Amino acid sequence: MLHLSEVSKEYRRGVRANDGVSLNVAPGEVFGLLGHNGAGKTTLINQVVGLLSPTTGTITLDGVDLVANPAHARRQCALMPQAHAPLDGLSPRQAVQMLGRIRGASRRRAIECADALLAALDITAWADTTGERLSGGVRRLTAYAMAAVEPGRVVMLDEPTNDVDPIRRRLLWQQVRTLAAEGRAVVLVTHNVAEAERSVDRLAVLDHGRVVAKGTPAELRAGTAGELRLELLVATGTPLETPIPTRAPTRRTGRRHVLSIDAATAPQALEWAQRLRADGHIEEFSLTPTSLEDVYVDLVGPGATSADVTTAAPGESGTLVS
Amino acid sequence: MRLRSFVPLMVIVQVILSVSIVFGFAFLNPGIDADPEGALFLSTGAPTLALIAIGLGIAPGQVAQQKAQGILDYQRALPVPRTATLAAEATVWVGIALPGVAAGLWAATLRFDLELQIHPLLAPALVLVALTCLAVGYGIAYTVPPMVVQVVTNLLLFLALLFSPVNFPADRLPGWLATAHTFLPFAYMAQVIRESLAPPPEGISVLPFAVLSAWCLLGLTLAHWVMNRRG
Repeated sequence: MLHLSEVSKEYRRGVRANDGVSLNVAPGEVFGLLGHNGAGKTTLINQVVGLLSPTTGTITLDGVDLVANPAHARRQCALMPQAHAPLDGLSPRQAVQMLGRIRGASRRRAIECADALLAALDITAWADTTGERLSGGVRRLTAYAMAAVEPGRVVMLDEPTNDVDPIRRRLLWQQVRTLAAEGRAVVLVTHNVAEAERSVDRLAVLDHGRVVAKGTPAELRAGTAGELRLELLVATGTPLETPIPTRAPTRRTGRRHVLSIDAATAPQALEWAQRLRADGHIEEFSLTPTSLEDVYVDLVGPGATSADVTTAAPGESGTLVS
Repeated sequence: MRLRSFVPLMVIVQVILSVSIVFGFAFLNPGIDADPEGALFLSTGAPTLALIAIGLGIAPGQVAQQKAQGILDYQRALPVPRTATLAAEATVWVGIALPGVAAGLWAATLRFDLELQIHPLLAPALVLVALTCLAVGYGIAYTVPPMVVQVVTNLLLFLALLFSPVNFPADRLPGWLATAHTFLPFAYMAQVIRESLAPPPEGISVLPFAVLSAWCLLGLTLAHWVMNRRG
């Protein structure tokens, strides 16, 4: 349905924000665009809605050229931008209803849809509070509702879960799935890899404007079958000596040590980790299958750990053995 | 809608501004009571300046703020024709400006004991002046980086208030500045409003209307072009 072919965007100062990006998003699909800050994700979706035009390449929706028809693009694509939606002087209810009307819903439908969305996201309590007095999370959810109230064929969400609490994040993901189930193409921009892993059908990883990997989360993890990750939270700042065979050098982020091991080594690793914990050398540990995040870190190269990759809190993803 | 909470405040500021111009400038120029022409300039200059302040001061300031907050891009991504957005905003701004215009004129009749004749062309003149100010203001706000907008519009307001033949006749200005004002819109703005409140015996001049329309078109074209431009 939404088809991007060899899209490149070069800014006047010679910065190449997108470099030969080709993607296909089908109806009913949630498609993730992953990448760290500055990887070109937002630039890409801004080209779809016609805020920017590609230097080369084509963008079509059901065969209609969106670059040549920006008005069609805006009618068919609802965008939830990364910046806050304008809510000053407006309550979430008014804002969502107004966006519904702007996008062509009847007055009654706009009222009904707005109420349903606010209830589904559990923010009805703030429905009539003006924007200035809303918390960041409620503003973000309102912005989502503004995009989803009367969406066209494509809904693009730029970092939709920023500032949103964990309970309402789940509600938000349910809504995103509903949008897709209704036959829309959903493009999700995020640098939260753990969340993307659970929420998207397919994804593309962007690095310096190029697609470095594409596929389902399982496909991207396929190369690491039989690989496990052992994560240790050490009690002191002293790095640990590793007595077990590992597949790659240990990655250390503060007190957190991440080891990549073979599945065959698991019993040995488990025993070692339990001993470390009993002796008080570590506070906690987990042994999980290699996550998309590990794949991601490998893909976008060393140094990516410091490049604002949102990582899952311990226990938030995968199976916690500890 | 976004400005709803500010509208009453802005209307009050506008009213104070217009009334203060009439009274304040009269203090600056003690001989004005013996000078009916000066009084007429001041009385009709006040509503002109009220419109200039909105169109070239407050409105572009708001646009700059919207631009800095990303609201402009949000609006640009909505399925609303650019012209509709501009028209809606212009209507709101004219609505905000009108009470100030009325207050300025009322203050002037009180202060100077003037007999103003309201000509049917007053309404189109006011709308044209307001639109020209807004068009030029929006043109500036859209093309200039947000941080610079305030500086540019403040300079323009300063120029309009003190160095333009709005509140006083052009012959008080140095020759080169008077010449400059044959191209700039300020003098013409004052002229269309003055003439439609006190029609000269030879009739209302057409030239100022034409020049203002040209400026209005230029500003609108610029604003529309920037609105539609894709980086």
